[in-house]
Amino acid sequence: MTPRTRRRLLVMLQHIAIVLFILVMMVPIIWIALAAFKRHVDVYQLKLLFTPVLDNFSRVFAEPYNLGEKLFNSTVVAAVTVLLAIPVATAAAYAFSRFRLRAQTFLLAIILATQFVPAVVIVLPFFVMYRDLGLLDTLTGLIIVNLAIVMPFAIWMIKGFIDGIPIDTEEAALVDGSSRLQVIRNIVLPMAAPGLVTAGIFCFIIAWNEFLFALILTSKDAVTLPVGLALFKAEEGDLWNLMAAAGIIIMVPMFVLALIIRRHFVQGMTMGAVR
Amino acid sequence: MRDRTLKYLLVAPAVLVVAATAVWPLFESLRLSTYAGRLSRPDFPQAFVGADQYTWAFFEEPAFWNSVWVTGVYTVVTVVLTTAFALAFALLLAPGGRFRSGVQSLLILPFAMSPALIGVSFRFMFNPEFGLFDAVLTGIIPGIGDINWLADPVWSFWVLVAADVWGWIPFLTLVLIGGLASIPRETQEAAQVDGASGWRVFKDVTVPQLLPVLAVVIILKAIFSLKTFDLVFMLTNGGPGNATQTLSHYVYFNGFKYAEFGYASAVAWLMVIPMLVLTYFYARFVFDRR
Amino acid sequence: MASVSLNNVTKAWGSVKGVDDQSLHIADREFLVLLGPSGCGKTTTMRMIAGLEEPTSGDILIGDRRVNDELPKDRDVAMVFQNYGLYPHMTVRGNIAYPLKVRGTPTEEIGPRVEAAAEQVELTELLDRKPKALSGGQRQRVALARAIVRTPTVFLMDEPLSNLDAKLRVSMRAELKNLSHRLQVTTVYVTHDQIEAMTLADRVAVMQGGRIQQLGTPEAIYNDPETLFVASFIGSPAMNLVRGQLEAGALKVGERSIRLPDSLPVRDHADAVLGARPEDIDVVDAGQGHIDAEVFAVENTGDSVLITVRLGDQKLTSRGDRYLKRAIDERIGLKLNEDHLYLFDAVSEKRLRG
Repeated sequence: MTPRTRRRLLVMLQHIAIVLFILVMMVPIIWIALAAFKRHVDVYQLKLLFTPVLDNFSRVFAEPYNLGEKLFNSTVVAAVTVLLAIPVATAAAYAFSRFRLRAQTFLLAIILATQFVPAVVIVLPFFVMYRDLGLLDTLTGLIIVNLAIVMPFAIWMIKGFIDGIPIDTEEAALVDGSSRLQVIRNIVLPMAAPGLVTAGIFCFIIAWNEFLFALILTSKDAVTLPVGLALFKAEEGDLWNLMAAAGIIIMVPMFVLALIIRRHFVQGMTMGAVR
Repeated sequence: MRDRTLKYLLVAPAVLVVAATAVWPLFESLRLSTYAGRLSRPDFPQAFVGADQYTWAFFEEPAFWNSVWVTGVYTVVTVVLTTAFALAFALLLAPGGRFRSGVQSLLILPFAMSPALIGVSFRFMFNPEFGLFDAVLTGIIPGIGDINWLADPVWSFWVLVAADVWGWIPFLTLVLIGGLASIPRETQEAAQVDGASGWRVFKDVTVPQLLPVLAVVIILKAIFSLKTFDLVFMLTNGGPGNATQTLSHYVYFNGFKYAEFGYASAVAWLMVIPMLVLTYFYARFVFDRR
Repeated sequence: MASVSLNNVTKAWGSVKGVDDQSLHIADREFLVLLGPSGCGKTTTMRMIAGLEEPTSGDILIGDRRVNDELPKDRDVAMVFQNYGLYPHMTVRGNIAYPLKVRGTPTEEIGPRVEAAAEQVELTELLDRKPKALSGGQRQRVALARAIVRTPTVFLMDEPLSNLDAKLRVSMRAELKNLSHRLQVTTVYVTHDQIEAMTLADRVAVMQGGRIQQLGTPEAIYNDPETLFVASFIGSPAMNLVRGQLEAGALKVGERSIRLPDSLPVRDHADAVLGARPEDIDVVDAGQGHIDAEVFAVENTGDSVLITVRLGDQKLTSRGDRYLKRAIDERIGLKLNEDHLYLFDAVSEKRLRG
């Protein structure tokens, strides 16, 4: 076998391996997606071909599941968290990027470290505090907590973007007579806008999928979608087709958002350790 | 306003948020752990017991050590498996071209599923009556269909591992692809011309240059594995019994099922220590590269 | 026998042809330079010789062996890459030793050979450093040492000097010339710098658009260019090219007319280009040369003075004595050296030889 033939064979084997890999990665998602459209009886019979129904979706939005409420909660919590987090993070990110603060490395390290602290450690004091303050089962409470989670990601991602903006335009504006705040408003923000949007989407995904805090800190009014899924499990036990429908509602927006920012995913998750 | 004051003003809100929502609870948690706090009782927290809960966990509570063991094995196994698979797939997908780039885009999708959702999905698929994976595996290895996956202490562990590995492979693969792309092609071509076979180029030139990224991947995955809660809760809820009760789940259980807040805080704090160690190493990579 | 031959070699990606049906024979121990602008196909050609790219069609031979199907490691070539391709995690010693190590040279032999190679490029003191602790020039020498440690059949060098600063480039050129003379190995050298080509080559292949436009000694390329491209690419400042109609031995440029010597091979040609190098044009008083014009610019480069005149919307530059003095807008005469004039067809860009 000539080296050329051997090489072609190798490439073909690689393609087969890639296809297998994709199958394994995609099949669970596809299977759940299919289940969302099945009747209960089809689920039990493991049918591949079936007549799809949309009942499941209408049922999950009705009593007693009320997914619509939970969808609303998730959206509000995620959106408000992002709306609060991004400006705060941008301010800090700009300062970290353009100024040399004396405590810079220390502060950045702290911010990095909080990202890796297990949520369970933090949730206990939060629970006690919320109970005393009456913040249990409120959207406000959830927003505060989600702020804690997304802030480190937001700061790091936005700082990364601002680092990538050449400083020349700002310096020229300063020389021309702008104040620092004007420079931020007129020059930096427009240029960093794509980065801010990306960071915002990333934080939205994190807040949307957040589970532990929502589980602990809510009971009926402020329940979000992921926890809603858990409630299915407790009450209904085995209505998988309904759970799948709920799952789709949770997943699909995230798929769309993730595809939009896919190029920056790696950088965001690793906090700049890998570009 | 002068730059000097402005810069502190800019940073202040973020620092405040982080301090209030992450740093303070950390210390508050430490404080709670020194009280024998049962949340359900009105005079919470109750007596100050100092380090008693810690010693109790260490020396008298087998459930604690069970969780440590479960978490430890789980972390090692998932890190090794995920890294190995991710590396293999990264090597497969790195060369580029339209087909492979398209596949890379697909990899984002599993990652956008939260661990809770993955937990539910895998529970669904390993259901002994109508689970997809159960059916497929029975088809491949007959006789295996008798296993009630999630009711068996050993198998439920492996299903948990499978779910975790499945969920994290896409992300780690993407990271490693980025790492491979950053290796200058000339170093690999130079080795080819120097006389190295494909395997030797990989061993002598590619892997040594990939080590920093590989280290980041391993540390990151280890941290995520140690923290894991969502997946466990949705997939096995720690069971059967406490066969899959990771430390996070153990803390949750004690804190919110038994309302033993003080004890739960103590265990939670014990978790912080390996985290800090790992975070230190991780920070080295983040800051060194600047 | 270490000649290198390319027979009708083409490299195409889809409909884009990087190298278009080219043939080339490099003799044993010859130093051949592939010269041309970026995208002309010179690097692709070299990579095909190395085995890093596969030709779409055609044959590549090293010695008498057809090597199309051979992997780079089996072709016994050594290559210096443009960015050096040093192994960052190995010391200089490790880098230089790697080709020997990976080919199974016995350990006792590796040490002395590495030291010998290092000595040839004056790296003996840096053997234990890592590449990131070296300057650009030092890294380049490591790449060289790694290539020569093996005494390969063919040497390939891909723009090795282009990442060095100007001064270093000049001194390294001389080093390379000396080194290649001592080593006596067939060498293929890729560059876009025509001075490197002129000074280093036994023969030069000037490439453009995937094709070799001219293959010859540096003298031939310089003094007898085949095409407009070759004529303008070689020589600095570039050859003057004046476009016009050739009628009865005179070149009409707009309203002007340049009387050309009878020794030129062609006397009539509709769309012609006249070529004359700056050093082949002398500045004389108005009326005393082949053409009169007003001075457009005067540049003193230290070792000579360049005087540019305007001819309609074209310009001519002459290189003259360093003490020459003329003023802008002054009317002067230009005298062309009759032995070094060239005529090209404006459309086909080929040299007119009558």
